[in-house]
Amino acid sequence: MYTLLIKHFFRSKTVWLAFGILMVLGMLSISTGKQFLSQQQTSINKTIEQQQKHLERQRSFHKEDIGLLSYYLKFSFLNPVQPLAGISIGQSDLNSHIQNVSIVALEGQKHNTDLVNPMRLQVGNLDVSFLIIFLFPLVIIALNFNLLSEEKEKGTWKMITIQAKSSFSYLLAKLSVRFVFVCLVLGLLLLVAKVVLGIPFTSDFSAIIIMSYLYTLFWFALCFFVILLRKSSNTNAIVLLASWLLLVVFLPVLVSNYITNKYPIDEAFTMVIKQRDAYHQKWDTDKKETMERFYEHYPHLRKYGFKTEGFSWLWYFAMQQLGDDDSKEERAAMYNKVKQREELSRKIAQFFPPLQLQLSMNDIAKTSLTNHIDFLHATNTFHEKIRLDLYPKIFEEHHPDTVNFEKHKPEFFKPESNFSLFKNMLSILIISFILIGFGIFRNLKYFS
Amino acid sequence: MRNDVVVLIGKQFFKKTFYTKGLFVLLTLFLMVLSYVTINGWNAYEKRHHIAEHHQNQSRESWENNPDKHPHRMAHFGTFAFREQHPLSIFDSGIETYIGNSIYLEAHKQNTANFSEASLSTGLVRFGDLNIALLLQLILPLVIFFIGYASITSEKEHGILKIIYLQGASMQQILLGKALGLFLVSTLFFIPALIALWSISFIESHTLNSGVVMRSLLITASYVLFFIVLCFVTVIVSARSVSSNKALLSLLGGWLLFFIIIPKTAQVIGNSVYPNLSKIEFKAAIEAEVAKQGDSHDPNDPHFNKLRDSVLKANNVTDVKDLPFNYSGFLMSKGEEQTAIIYGNQHKKLINTYKKQNSITNSLVVLNPYLAIKNISMGLSGTDFHTYTNFLSQTETYRYEQSQYMNDLQMKFISNKAKGSEGKIHVVDKSYWRSAPKFSYEYLPISKTINHQIVAFFALIFWLLLAIITMTKFSNRFKFI
Repeated sequence: MYTLLIKHFFRSKTVWLAFGILMVLGMLSISTGKQFLSQQQTSINKTIEQQQKHLERQRSFHKEDIGLLSYYLKFSFLNPVQPLAGISIGQSDLNSHIQNVSIVALEGQKHNTDLVNPMRLQVGNLDVSFLIIFLFPLVIIALNFNLLSEEKEKGTWKMITIQAKSSFSYLLAKLSVRFVFVCLVLGLLLLVAKVVLGIPFTSDFSAIIIMSYLYTLFWFALCFFVILLRKSSNTNAIVLLASWLLLVVFLPVLVSNYITNKYPIDEAFTMVIKQRDAYHQKWDTDKKETMERFYEHYPHLRKYGFKTEGFSWLWYFAMQQLGDDDSKEERAAMYNKVKQREELSRKIAQFFPPLQLQLSMNDIAKTSLTNHIDFLHATNTFHEKIRLDLYPKIFEEHHPDTVNFEKHKPEFFKPESNFSLFKNMLSILIISFILIGFGIFRNLKYFS
Repeated sequence: MRNDVVVLIGKQFFKKTFYTKGLFVLLTLFLMVLSYVTINGWNAYEKRHHIAEHHQNQSRESWENNPDKHPHRMAHFGTFAFREQHPLSIFDSGIETYIGNSIYLEAHKQNTANFSEASLSTGLVRFGDLNIALLLQLILPLVIFFIGYASITSEKEHGILKIIYLQGASMQQILLGKALGLFLVSTLFFIPALIALWSISFIESHTLNSGVVMRSLLITASYVLFFIVLCFVTVIVSARSVSSNKALLSLLGGWLLFFIIIPKTAQVIGNSVYPNLSKIEFKAAIEAEVAKQGDSHDPNDPHFNKLRDSVLKANNVTDVKDLPFNYSGFLMSKGEEQTAIIYGNQHKKLINTYKKQNSITNSLVVLNPYLAIKNISMGLSGTDFHTYTNFLSQTETYRYEQSQYMNDLQMKFISNKAKGSEGKIHVVDKSYWRSAPKFSYEYLPISKTINHQIVAFFALIFWLLLAIITMTKFSNRFKFI
């Protein structure tokens, strides 16, 4: 029976059309990912190359004054892009992967953005995750919506109920042919992506594979449910398309809008003003007090004493440090809001597979907002390390030639994974099984 | 041609559709969503407007509260510009979400606009923005397709078309009538949306220079044109299809292709054909150019040394200390001038690259009415690419003027004996901080927007003509059976 079903399946024009569209867009999406990865890689290489040049140049300008040289020198901290980011570009095109910071106040530097065409950002990426989330459901719908109704409308269903051992298993067989086909296409797409993007076979990659397959399972479950409502092909098509429109287009937009408005991040503005004022006001306040507060932060530097006469680099860097220190509260408030946005997004997403898949893929590929925030936090550590290395040398007025600035090579951030595959699998599985269960339950009388 | 027949058929289609239960449900849903989106968007706009204004004032207040200071300290104290949104961004938020909201303007340094809404949002933000334009551009076309896909095919399938023909109506009249009817039905959906637009424009019309009424007029006209085109296309597709199923399938496929896939693909291709410099390359290019021309931060730079010698000669002195003005202020003003030009050139190149990236999308407006209406709507709502680059250039102009204001103060009031900007001796009176101009953002004039979108306007008109010609001149190609 299966050979006949498969033959019949491949005779349909829809199948070849769907296959063709998916392949063409698949190639386009993989090359989008490839291009994104190579652009990021070039930037990273250029950054490493540039830092050396920058150092030589600044050294030649400021041969005598270590304070001035340290003021100008910039050090790079890089957030590497994983090959998986080629599958799910996520938020990583919005936020810079490269921090290029000097030892003055950090808060004014680390939120600088990269140069990206905002039109491109608005239209969004055509990456593999988009293809899977957006277009695979449509293909699944197109292949399945008239699975049962077509047979009824053509009058072949009665023959089947008479001739087949079980009309239910016939329906399942038809469905499974389509399921296997979609799985193969998805597998092919992921395989090509793996080869082209150079993705190593790690647990992360398998998590993406598992989540993608579960997502197709969800759409099959939804189709199965709708088919078994036993309505006409037309109604099925409209119901399924309306669900697609709702789940993939409308609800995500609504949810995202709700979250944005519920937690507006005006703290970001408050923070930038505060860090500017906190530093600049120190030019007019008591120097001793500034240094006292600086030593409270770094007691081990207290030995450098209080230089209150005229300009000193000690005082200058103490002021800069306090710019960061005094805006701590505002900063915490900002990150707190970001966190609330993340938590609410995750909470809502678990009920809607398309949202959940997008967030999961970003998390796995380390292209999520969380990843960027972690990178920002790590930048603080990186920055402090260099500060603490240079402070004593500046305060002791070492000659620049004796200081090894070169040892602060561009460093890479090591992202941590906080993705729980089990938790994410669970909710999508539960939703799918509920749909399948309902479909069967309503039809128990037909399939005995 | 007898017009009354067209009107009759149109009326009949409208009545028939109006009394179906489905339409009622759809319309109620649509209106509910529309009210939610409008009220919600309006609140959000008010809130954002308030936030921007509040921070702008706060930032200015602390600027003005500075005591007597060395002007170069003020040049680095700098100003923040918090981007103001156009009131019509409630209607169409365009690229709003993706562009930086705050930019720090200080001496010698051009900072990026930071903290775009999207940069602080989770991955969900990439599904799109919720606003009235989304409903009109993506959802309503689908609604029109759903209502109109069977307009001709169902008549054919039921054999009614033949009867109408026998009663004396021509194919032309039937097609036009159905399109008219479909358009009447669609007015039920888009007129409330346009009412929302007009209420925004009346209530927010106090916003200076926003040209809100003129913009709303043009937006209204464009959308009406867009929906007429859609209704015509729907009826034509229905007439050319063998069955209702096929008609629906073609329309949905067309929606997917024209509304989702082509726009995305065009932008992706644009970006890969014309890649732009990354920030590190951009900065390196500026640094290289500065190094070539002379760096004012380099004490031994030949270019600036030559400048110094000529200034000394002109003033008949041998040491900069004897100059009648502050030399380091002068040097900084020359340096600022030079780097601003170099930066300006590089930035212009970057914007031109962006424009090239957008050019594929922009040239497709002729073939794709969705892209045409999208660009027009964004442009007129003050949320498009050009509005943004205009904002950037306004901030850069302000930054430059602010730096030069401080350099002038330094040249005028600071002694050449001053070694640095520290301390209370070499200072300028704080009243000068108050008299420094504020940053005031001017919306891009509407004439510029019309200029940018002229092709899109013509594209819509072209589509309308094309649809009318197809219906009237080639009506014999449509079959009755």
